[in-house]
Amino acid sequence: MTFTGQCSCGAVAVSIAGEPAAVRQCWCRQCQQLAGGGATNNAMFNTADVTITGELAQATWTAASGNTLTHSRCAACGNPVYAQSSARPQFMTMRLGILDPGHGLAPQAVIWTDDAPAWAVIDPALPTFPQQPPPPPSKG
Amino acid sequence: MSHRGRCFCGGVTFTATADPLGARMCWCRDCQYIASGSPTVNVLFPGDAVTWSGPLTTIAKVAESGNTVERGFCPTCGSQMYSRTVHPAGTQPVWVRAGTLDNPSLCPPEAYIWVDSAPAWAVFDPTLPRFRKGPGSQRVE
Repeated sequence: MTFTGQCSCGAVAVSIAGEPAAVRQCWCRQCQQLAGGGATNNAMFNTADVTITGELAQATWTAASGNTLTHSRCAACGNPVYAQSSARPQFMTMRLGILDPGHGLAPQAVIWTDDAPAWAVIDPALPTFPQQPPPPPSKG
Repeated sequence: MSHRGRCFCGGVTFTATADPLGARMCWCRDCQYIASGSPTVNVLFPGDAVTWSGPLTTIAKVAESGNTVERGFCPTCGSQMYSRTVHPAGTQPVWVRAGTLDNPSLCPPEAYIWVDSAPAWAVFDPTLPRFRKGPGSQRVE
């Protein structure tokens, strides 16, 4: 299946020719700061499957996991597009908000629940991890 | 009582010199873009009570409500900082993104808005009201 998406101003477009290895919701404090106060929702695709057009702006930092994370957003409207970890260059974690509605993807696990505020509502049907979970297997 | 906050990288800081008026989670499509697929979590302060320091990039866009909404984010790290209605002009509160508050639990959310746009996987606190569109619109029972 091919997934498509674009930011709200239309300057950045994404196309993904493959299924995600995992879809996770992350409540780490850094994600809350970046994403308006809630969790980020991230679909981990094989980097080789992802095509992005348009100008991105990037910020890099050391995540709570100790890995170096690069957060890429539309250079014009600032919408988050994807994140990538130095430990796993084979994956690009696309932000679910950037994908066109109807993609059918949903979080399969919730991570960094240690950092979630008391008011956070976490789906009781999903597995949770207090911090970083093990990485998913690489595909292909 | 004053409340402080900052973006992820610390390039933008702010001080609110009043207590919050309330807090809401917004599932409109524009907010899902900003919030990486989640709703934005917004703590409302009186519009003149928040003072910002540091560079901010602002984008004004007509929202699903029909209002023109200005959204501010840090140009360095991209943290989403606030939104506010700029048209129609008036005495609207400023919606500070809860994640930027030093204390994200300062004012827990009291309602969901624009839930008609929420994805099928969205989970809701059953004790909070859910408005199909903006505040005061039809509620989901």
